[in-house]
Amino acid sequence: MSEVPVTADPGETPAGTGVGTADLTLDATAATADVPAELLAQSLGQYFRASWQRVRGGNAGVLPVLLALVVVAIGFQIANSKFLGAQNLVNLFEQSSIYMLLAIAEIFALLLGEIDLSVGLVMGMSSVVVAELVQPTGANWPWWAAIIVALLASTAFGALQGTLVSRLKMPSFIVTLGGLLILEGVAIIVLGGSLVGIGNGGFKNEVYLYNIFWGTFSPVVSWILLVVLVGAAGGGLWLQDARKRRRGLETAPRSLVAMKIGLIAVAGIAIVAICNVNRAHAGTIEGVPFIIAIVLFVLVASTVLLQRTRFGRYVYAIGGNPEAARRAGVRLPVIRTWSFALAGLISGIAGVLFASWQVSITTNIIKAANSYVLLAVAAAVIGGTSLFGGRGKTIHGVLGGLVIGAIYNGLYLLGVSSQWIDVAVAAVLIAAAIIDVLSRRGAPSRA
Amino acid sequence: MTADRGETPAGTAGAGTADLTLDATVAEADLPPQLVAQSLGEYMRASWLRIRGGNSGVLPVILAIVIVAVVFEIITPEHAYLRPSNLVYIFGLSTVYMILAIAETVVLLIAEVDLSVGAVALIGGAIAFKLVQQPGPNWPWWAAILAALAICGAFGALQGALVSLLRIPSFVVTLGGFLLFSGILIIILGGADSTVSLNTEVPNQNFIYDMVQGLISPVIGWIVLALVVVGAGASQWRREAARRRRNLVTPPRSLTAIRIALMAIVGAAVVIVCSVNRGTSLKHVTGIPWVIPIVLVVLAAWTLVLQRTRYGRYIYAIGGNPESARRAGVSLPKIRIWAFALCSATAALGGILLGSFFFGQYSTNTADPGQLVLYTVAASVIGGVSLFGGRGKAIHGVLGGLLIGGIAYGVSLLNLGSLSTPLTYILPGGVLLIAVLIDVQSRRGAGA
Repeated sequence: MSEVPVTADPGETPAGTGVGTADLTLDATAATADVPAELLAQSLGQYFRASWQRVRGGNAGVLPVLLALVVVAIGFQIANSKFLGAQNLVNLFEQSSIYMLLAIAEIFALLLGEIDLSVGLVMGMSSVVVAELVQPTGANWPWWAAIIVALLASTAFGALQGTLVSRLKMPSFIVTLGGLLILEGVAIIVLGGSLVGIGNGGFKNEVYLYNIFWGTFSPVVSWILLVVLVGAAGGGLWLQDARKRRRGLETAPRSLVAMKIGLIAVAGIAIVAICNVNRAHAGTIEGVPFIIAIVLFVLVASTVLLQRTRFGRYVYAIGGNPEAARRAGVRLPVIRTWSFALAGLISGIAGVLFASWQVSITTNIIKAANSYVLLAVAAAVIGGTSLFGGRGKTIHGVLGGLVIGAIYNGLYLLGVSSQWIDVAVAAVLIAAAIIDVLSRRGAPSRA
Repeated sequence: MTADRGETPAGTAGAGTADLTLDATVAEADLPPQLVAQSLGEYMRASWLRIRGGNSGVLPVILAIVIVAVVFEIITPEHAYLRPSNLVYIFGLSTVYMILAIAETVVLLIAEVDLSVGAVALIGGAIAFKLVQQPGPNWPWWAAILAALAICGAFGALQGALVSLLRIPSFVVTLGGFLLFSGILIIILGGADSTVSLNTEVPNQNFIYDMVQGLISPVIGWIVLALVVVGAGASQWRREAARRRRNLVTPPRSLTAIRIALMAIVGAAVVIVCSVNRGTSLKHVTGIPWVIPIVLVVLAAWTLVLQRTRYGRYIYAIGGNPESARRAGVSLPKIRIWAFALCSATAALGGILLGSFFFGQYSTNTADPGQLVLYTVAASVIGGVSLFGGRGKAIHGVLGGLLIGGIAYGVSLLNLGSLSTPLTYILPGGVLLIAVLIDVQSRRGAGA
């Protein structure tokens, strides 16, 4: 309905009047959250009221998925008291980490209004490459060189697909469908024989790879790292806020910033405390797994890239309205190609974790890698990312991945067979889509 | 060229249906040369212009099939690719892709996508196989097949309702459907490792087994072919005669004759190929597999529905422009729900044929539903169906499926050892990319 006055002002600004960047920022913000409550609120109370209105208006953000997580957690805890135990929670996170990374990768495509069906097999290809390159009887490369090559290959493949999509104007659905078929073949060729493993404790490089997924920080180091991270994040937030205030810009109330820092600290302390419980049946396994740090790093890096850089604003601008973005001077092919390249890179990182997790890679595991793509899309959508571009954040992928991981883990704990787990995931996905559609219907429709 | 559509005020109704026919034709083929040409020469020139303008129809995929056939014939050991036994086997192998691609085409035509066809097809097969078990339900074969089609059709209608009534993107709905039905499939089969198989001793079960494995003797094949060619030819000839009497635009007579002749030649070729002994000198195997007429019937039925009925015109209208279709009085939800339902029912038939192709064995390893749907979408698009709705025909799905099956079998003949598995992925992927690249480039050339 174009007569809704909300959209009137972008129409009034003649396209290409030169203030391109400023306009785009506005566009991007508008695309993510209509009017961010932070920009209007002056006190904590106002902020909450504004947020509540936003939720009621259909911009619920991460709220539904958080709610889903709580419901899932309570439900499974009632059904099986082991669910929220330290051992299972760490286990759950480990299982979810692959979904999370692939969902983040997928979000880079979804934000553009495109889709990447190849993330699962980019992961599969990367895992085969990394495992093959460290084989002592084969290439025998150092572990870090193997990882770099695997990531470069993944990025290059993503960039290639992005080029086909953006320069040759081929639909991304088909390009990445063809891409995944080709990758499946390539991965099997690289695999060569029937099996490649990295589980041999006698070879330093294989041990390093193995530890990426299975290794942990010692409890003491975990606490130190937490303090450093919370300190850095809190300091950064506070300083940024103070700088804005000095310049007389609109800022969120100080109490809100303090609350955010407090929340980060509490969440961090909870995670470290849980992970530091000895979770081995015999002997000791304790400390924060490396993968938590890896997922956190990818999440923070991608969030900064999407929310704080010009590249990120352009991605949202293209997702919101490619033609408007183009007229404002955004070079669509460049941004699109880079987005697909980043999706490839993050899938490649997932591949390194996947190799480390599986320990040995076979043809069947490569095929299984493909099935992750649909779960990655499901995770992104359950998390709250739109399939039509311009709406979503990478945190959605992490939370959506956690929901899917929790369902798999919880139902598995209950002894439910895998086919019923698929049914449950499907139900959650459909429910998420229905909630999304209904909540957006409640909102004043834009465009 | 499109100006006249713009001049007609939207929603003047009345002439709705007529408008839509025009729309559908335009969406499919800009300007069909039949409407312009008066002689065979003119027709050929017009067709050539249409191809150069980017509306090449089935030509690219037929060209691709010819190239694939020639290349594999040259490079396979002993030039075995085009042997009658292999040709018959390729058709059986491709059947599931052909039927599923026809099903997917219907949904692609309304600019949606169905990612659940693979899982639905397997469910359809599993249901039919379960229902004829003895001891067990022991239903007659026709009731089992009908039940499978009806249940799967209901699944499709459910997904279609979510898509069209709640406007949830079909990608998400059918992605959920894919997960859901993959789970239900295993439940129906009765666990991850169980197998359902047909007992060929029991005539009732043997019928389903025969749907792909059964053979029609060459003599009957010739008789049926003659009847079909005469029947189809006569009806086309008479229809055109009727048009000519009413002074409607008709293709030249010579063209109709050529078409009927082509149909006869292709049919005769198929029967001849199938009449060659494919077994050993001791045990003769000759005849036409049932599956060939079955595929032809499905193809003919869908071609009729899409090209000759009001429902088909509405499908093209929605695919071309849903809003203008709505304003012309088309009930979008009804057409869409039916499209999803019929897609799933057709897919179920594909699943039954798949089980028959695997010698009446059905297990969770029969096919991976994810792989199946990817190949299906690839087959439709390679065949020439547009992902954006409104462009494509059932025949495109059949030809695309044949190409995918032809490549898969050709690679397996090559004795490449460890390379043959990867190539069964890489070649269809490459063909798919090339097909879409050509499609995109040619449409750009057309100035669309």
